[in-house]
Amino acid sequence: MSSSSGLTFKLHPLVIVNISDHHTRSKAQTGRAGRPPRVYGCVLGVQTGRTVEIFNSFELRYDPVEELLDRAFLETKQEQYKKVFPKYDVLGWYSTGSDVQDSDMLIHKALMDINESPVYVLLNPTINHAQKDLPISIFESELHVIDEVPSLIFVNASYTIETVEAERISVDHVAHIKPSDGSSAATQLAAHLTGMHSAIKMLNSRIRVLYHHLASIQKGDAEYEHSLLRQISSLVRRLPAIDSPKFQDDFLMEYNDTLLMTYLATITKCSSTMNELVDKFNTAYDKQNRRGGRTTFI
Amino acid sequence: MEASTSSAMVARQTWEIENNIVAMESPAAASDSDAIFEYDEASQSSIQQLKPWNRDPHFFKNVKISALALLKMVVHSRSGGTIEVMGLMQGKTDGDTIIIMDAFALPVEGTETRVNAQADAYEYMVQYSQTNKQVGRLENVVGWYHSHPGYGCWLSGIDVSTQMLNQTYQEPFLAVVIDPTRTVSAGKVEIGAFRTYPQGYKPPDEPPSEYQTIPLNKIEDFGVHYKQYYSLDITYFKSSLDSHLLDLLWNKYWVNTLSSSPLLANRDYVAGQVADLAEKLEQAESQLAHSGRMGGFFMPVQKKKEEESQLAKISRDSSKITVEQLHGLMSQVIKNTLFNVVTSSASASAAASAETPTSATDSSGPEPMILL
Repeated sequence: MSSSSGLTFKLHPLVIVNISDHHTRSKAQTGRAGRPPRVYGCVLGVQTGRTVEIFNSFELRYDPVEELLDRAFLETKQEQYKKVFPKYDVLGWYSTGSDVQDSDMLIHKALMDINESPVYVLLNPTINHAQKDLPISIFESELHVIDEVPSLIFVNASYTIETVEAERISVDHVAHIKPSDGSSAATQLAAHLTGMHSAIKMLNSRIRVLYHHLASIQKGDAEYEHSLLRQISSLVRRLPAIDSPKFQDDFLMEYNDTLLMTYLATITKCSSTMNELVDKFNTAYDKQNRRGGRTTFI
Repeated sequence: MEASTSSAMVARQTWEIENNIVAMESPAAASDSDAIFEYDEASQSSIQQLKPWNRDPHFFKNVKISALALLKMVVHSRSGGTIEVMGLMQGKTDGDTIIIMDAFALPVEGTETRVNAQADAYEYMVQYSQTNKQVGRLENVVGWYHSHPGYGCWLSGIDVSTQMLNQTYQEPFLAVVIDPTRTVSAGKVEIGAFRTYPQGYKPPDEPPSEYQTIPLNKIEDFGVHYKQYYSLDITYFKSSLDSHLLDLLWNKYWVNTLSSSPLLANRDYVAGQVADLAEKLEQAESQLAHSGRMGGFFMPVQKKKEEESQLAKISRDSSKITVEQLHGLMSQVIKNTLFNVVTSSASASAAASAETPTSATDSSGPEPMILL
């Protein structure tokens, strides 16, 4: 069942790394014996209109035996985070595990007095190398009538990953262990272009998937699905992305600005090299040098 | 496809050997690699008793930063914009390595005077450490980080005195500086880890680690103090779950990589850098003309060398900025080619896309400059 609230969710990688670290920590501390315990925490972020953006998270104390949520702890942590990140509110909570459990609804209801419609982020910590998708799901709660009893159930919601530029660079850095010693311009260029290349490769493979699907529809192997085709056609119709004369002007202007900078830098480099050459020349062929350097003529 | 991936593998292994990368995870011993996350209270307190760092001012040589700590520090530094922000780092020591497991931000800003900030910050720090211990973060505070937005990773005079104080009373302690503006501009993380020498210690002459350009208004502060501290090598580590998640994350954020526009994001910074370079150039020019007049008789060889190196430094700085600009422009050109060149038929589009990249590479001709 998918969410019908129409809210768009944006998740930042920091939250993912936070949850993963929390899980790894508790796993390391309970030792190798037994299954790692579930961890719980709160997620923070900003909700503007219909967009919910989750920026950060912190840990919570929850006793699964007593089914008691430590509220004082929650409030202390909330205050602390408000001091440093005043813009973030508590948007919901997170946990680890492979599936939603019944006890989760209790925590969810407990948080409803802070945020009337909290969001539940679930991370599946089992490492499955065959998996292609992120093992993270976001759930919302909705009031559904089941057997004529209105009850709250969790419904899956889709989300996108959103990054601030600095976040993306550091995630990239840690994920691919980019060469940190990028002082040589050649390695920097290589690193930059490799990143671009992999991104374009992804784009290409995704487009190929769509293309094959369309080809199979044409052959009659796959079903003719109107909504999907509508989406594909709107996607294709979005190209060219921008094609106005104003854009061309601005683009070329920026291009020329960069070329100008390059020109300036080249001139600076040339004059520096010239200066060194002249100095070396003077030192080597200096007639007034009384220190005994013999003047040599070519 | 296979050929390219195998050559990529070979290249990667060569690079790993060259850079002494020790792989932290291997599929068989996944549980061992996460061992770094275990906190052994007994061994940590025994190390505290021993205090091996008291005997050798240059004791700590390496720093290992976890993926989480790095991400948190960079995001916090960037969120400060042009204002300096600071925070604390938690972790442990392991021989001559300081290991940073986590970091958290402190509610103080660079504009406040240090004296007031310390009291407030200590209260927050104590409370935060206590709450952290309750959720399983058992490590102690082993350092502090702060940001230098736009002016490089080094310790200023105040930073040096703060760190010396810290190293007297709160050993082991580490200072980390992050430059979020340069990170975004260069596309790689600008970070430095430092420890100060105790007062009066004469360090052996070591070559500067990595050259970075310092703006004119800060260069005096840098020059006075740069001999009083040394920098440590930084490596990063992540848990097996982290690497798994990060790999999968790539499936989602390749869109952001393609859509990032560094040129737009960094206009102010680049303009500032160019203006700064112009000032430095004027200074260098006046100094050069000055010594040129003295020219004939007595050439103080030392000063001559500095003039040259100053002009050489300026040309290096200008190359660096230009290279970054060129990278940004390359991204724009690639995106333009990908998304703006649309033709009706498949063959025509193949021809067009074959043409436009070549014309683009022709016009962005000054690539050779990058190799200099």
